[in-house]
Amino acid sequence: MTPRPWAARLRKRSPVKLRTTAPIVLAAALVLTTAAACGGGGSAQPSGDGKSFEFWSFTGINQKKSVEDYQKANPGVEVKLTEVGTSVETAQALTTALAGGKVPDLVLIQGDDLPKFVQQPQNFQDLRQYGADKIKGDYLDWVISQSTAKSGEIIGIPTDVGGMAVAYRTDLFKEAGLPTDREEVSKLWPTWDAFIETGKKYTAATGKAFVDNAATSVFYQAVNQGPQKYYDPSGNVVYATSPQVRTAFDLAIKTVQAGITAKQDSFEEGWSVGMGKGDFAVVSAPSWMLGSIRDNAPGTKGKWDIATIPGGSGNWGGSYLAIPKGAANPKAAWDYISKTQSPQGQLDHFADSGALPTTPSVYQDPKLTGLKDPFFSDAPTGKIYTDSLLGLKPFLIGPDSSAIGQEFLNAITNVEQGKGDPAKAWDAALANIKTAIGK
Amino acid sequence: MPEAEARVRQSLAERVAPYAYIAPFFLLFAVFGLVPLLFTFYVALFDWNPIGEHVFIGFDNFTRLLGDTRFWNAAWNTISIWLLSTVPQLLIALVLAHLLNHARLRLAVFFRMSMLVPYITSVAATTIVFAQMFDRDYGLLNWLLGLAGVGPIDFLQSGWGSHVMIAVMVTWRWFGYTTLLYLASLQAVPRTIYEAAAVDGAGAWKQFRHISIPSLRPVIVFTVVTSTIGGLQIFTEPLLVSRSAPLTCGPVRQCQTLTLFLYEQGFGRFQFGYGAAIGVALFVLIIAIAALNYVLSARIRPER
Repeated sequence: MTPRPWAARLRKRSPVKLRTTAPIVLAAALVLTTAAACGGGGSAQPSGDGKSFEFWSFTGINQKKSVEDYQKANPGVEVKLTEVGTSVETAQALTTALAGGKVPDLVLIQGDDLPKFVQQPQNFQDLRQYGADKIKGDYLDWVISQSTAKSGEIIGIPTDVGGMAVAYRTDLFKEAGLPTDREEVSKLWPTWDAFIETGKKYTAATGKAFVDNAATSVFYQAVNQGPQKYYDPSGNVVYATSPQVRTAFDLAIKTVQAGITAKQDSFEEGWSVGMGKGDFAVVSAPSWMLGSIRDNAPGTKGKWDIATIPGGSGNWGGSYLAIPKGAANPKAAWDYISKTQSPQGQLDHFADSGALPTTPSVYQDPKLTGLKDPFFSDAPTGKIYTDSLLGLKPFLIGPDSSAIGQEFLNAITNVEQGKGDPAKAWDAALANIKTAIGK
Repeated sequence: MPEAEARVRQSLAERVAPYAYIAPFFLLFAVFGLVPLLFTFYVALFDWNPIGEHVFIGFDNFTRLLGDTRFWNAAWNTISIWLLSTVPQLLIALVLAHLLNHARLRLAVFFRMSMLVPYITSVAATTIVFAQMFDRDYGLLNWLLGLAGVGPIDFLQSGWGSHVMIAVMVTWRWFGYTTLLYLASLQAVPRTIYEAAAVDGAGAWKQFRHISIPSLRPVIVFTVVTSTIGGLQIFTEPLLVSRSAPLTCGPVRQCQTLTLFLYEQGFGRFQFGYGAAIGVALFVLIIAIAALNYVLSARIRPER
């Protein structure tokens, strides 16, 4: 409901002897200031001082640390960092800003939101003018190709990728009579079918759910493991016929029917509580998910370990830094990108935050392979996640990818919650996608 | 004749002055109300990418909207949640206002002020706490139901359950505010009328029915109209109850309201034209229901 201020506005007597001209002057001033406020921005010429720049990021990715490090090394520059909200909210704010003309100098965009912006490259600075084409060889091919427009402009530099793995509870595995060592656990599930079988054993032994849910922990992982997802390489929508999508969907339904899920949707209230209480033993975890587990179930420190993902490789997530066309301080923003996103810069950030570098040249660096995470029983997270990227077959992400993914996710969740008919779920999902994106 | 001239000038000033006094409001209304409203009608005629092209497509957005099951679903959800939240809210407020107006109530100021606490609590905080209470596996409510041997009920995932859950949140936030409006109105009723009624042998119910309610008529009409307008625009609660599918309020849009559908299309999918068309439809719906309200509530207006 909207507030109802007019109701509370009690009848007040107006001041007795106000000059009649006063309100007119006031009104005129108001109009003028309004006009002035709308007049700013929109200019294409860099107008900033070059000594500071405005940076929009999202929460949960720890850009603060990068900014602090950068400012220590470059004391003359002031970075005004704003954590707008979630990645989706940040993309929404950016859209509004681009439409309105008052933009930040630098913005972090999550991979799923990126295609919408890449399709409209005229809103961003072509980073090739600053030399992006010279350093693009530093980054994973398929990652930087996502931020390259059809007409060749590079509008974003990749900051991190997700990679994939499975986080599991060693204490609960032990109780269920399953191995606890990460090598042996990884051998339990070379495939998703083997993963489901392991789940059945776990549930039979303990009477408890094995995995948090089927939608995120199975579908969103498995669908990200093929060479083609919702779009073919030339950009046509192929979600209905793509074999990888159907396989992943059926695997998720199979997981539900095996009765091994806790039916806790990722990031819901119950998901956090269930995780803390050990009501499920397994969460599929791209590298950024590790932070969620740490935050949502701090009491489980040391009880987790990390095994490889069924199928061996895959990627979910990752972000990019871009400079809007109307930025006032594009050079300062680019200086930040080039220093913090160099292979060395990404390696340093990985050590601080766990965000996986997009620069393969550092994947063998002992600083990366040697990093162990005490929350997850000293698992070598850098090595596990970069290994999951090496066998990766990249696929194209399109402007409607996130909408398509959400509809599939919803259809699976609906079956998992006992409301949807598993036999009709696929067709229902296709129909919903068609309504949503019109193709 | 300078004297007459002065009089003319003065009367001109006097005639202009009232308009000048109200001008700031109308200027603000034009800037923040009227212009965006008209602009919404304009945008609704386009396939409007906020950061790309704007293609004129006439009434295509509206044709699409009328055939869109998601729109009708959202419209039904909105009306259902509105009824479930408004009717109990107004009834609770009526009764509470009557009780709080009681002459012998101790700590009256304390009780009256505490009515406002839900209203001044952040909506987001309220929603998150209520969502926890309604949780399927770990919620307080299902724990209580479990003690009674019932449940658990999956409020969020079921259609009616999610509507009830959101309606409870809305009622919780607004009942105190409405109570105070009623109370303020009741206090204007001379206490002697109640005393006379008591002397004549009227009990609490009869006093409520024959004194409180009739004297509240104008403010009841007012609250019905405002809570209808507000109720049809419920947004924050459905947005926040489902974290895995926030823009649809769950996997099958079970509690997606019209404003949330508008937000999903406009700001989730960046289809500003389609979003604007939903806004226009919502506008029409509110006008229609407000008109219906007006006609119906005219019947309980005090006779003149």
